[in-house]
Amino acid sequence: MGKLTIFNIQTASFLGAISLVLIGLVAILFIDNLIKKVLGMMFLTDGVNLFLVTLGFRLDVPGGPIVPILTQSFYEAQNSSMAAAAGEFAARAGFCLPYALVLTNIVIGAATMAVVLGLTIKMYQKHRSLNSSKVLGEVWKGD
Amino acid sequence: MSLPFADLPIYALIVASVAIAILSLLPRDLYKAVIVGGGIEGLALTVLFMRLLTPDVAITQAILASALLPALMFITVYKTSRWES
Repeated sequence: MGKLTIFNIQTASFLGAISLVLIGLVAILFIDNLIKKVLGMMFLTDGVNLFLVTLGFRLDVPGGPIVPILTQSFYEAQNSSMAAAAGEFAARAGFCLPYALVLTNIVIGAATMAVVLGLTIKMYQKHRSLNSSKVLGEVWKGD
Repeated sequence: MSLPFADLPIYALIVASVAIAILSLLPRDLYKAVIVGGGIEGLALTVLFMRLLTPDVAITQAILASALLPALMFITVYKTSRWES
């Protein structure tokens, strides 16, 4: 509020999300093993999720940030009218839209990962190797 | 807000998740890579989402990304080769 701090929880969390996305990209591009490519894909998904959650996190609010779940006890603790309590909740709770996007993104990421792992098993049964450079060399030589 | 080091666990969790992501790409044993990169990374991110005040995302992450996906990766490593060649 009064004191302006550049480095806080939100900045550190953004940096962590960017680091996870970079680690995922490096693992996808530069590691030959397919299981580790899948792990890198999972890190990329986690980095995007962490970025969206941090985007919705609200740090410097009077009274402290709260979980965006509105209950009856919150109304009873405010000792004011219902409209004033709703305004207090809207000023203190986090931004809910990225959280819904993140929930969808986690589930879709799990389904994508299942499909990718199934394709990995089929590729191993056909080529007897998990090394993507070797398999691509065999495929391109066969043409 | 009241304690001076109240947000120290959040910094520790962010650093730990990035460090675990780097460490999981190193070993040649793919079982170790899957345990560290799938399970422990998912657990660290679960506690981090819990500290960032999103319990719904934390529940979904705890079920899917730290229990279901390591199981699927374990099945994949079991049906393919264990050692990275």
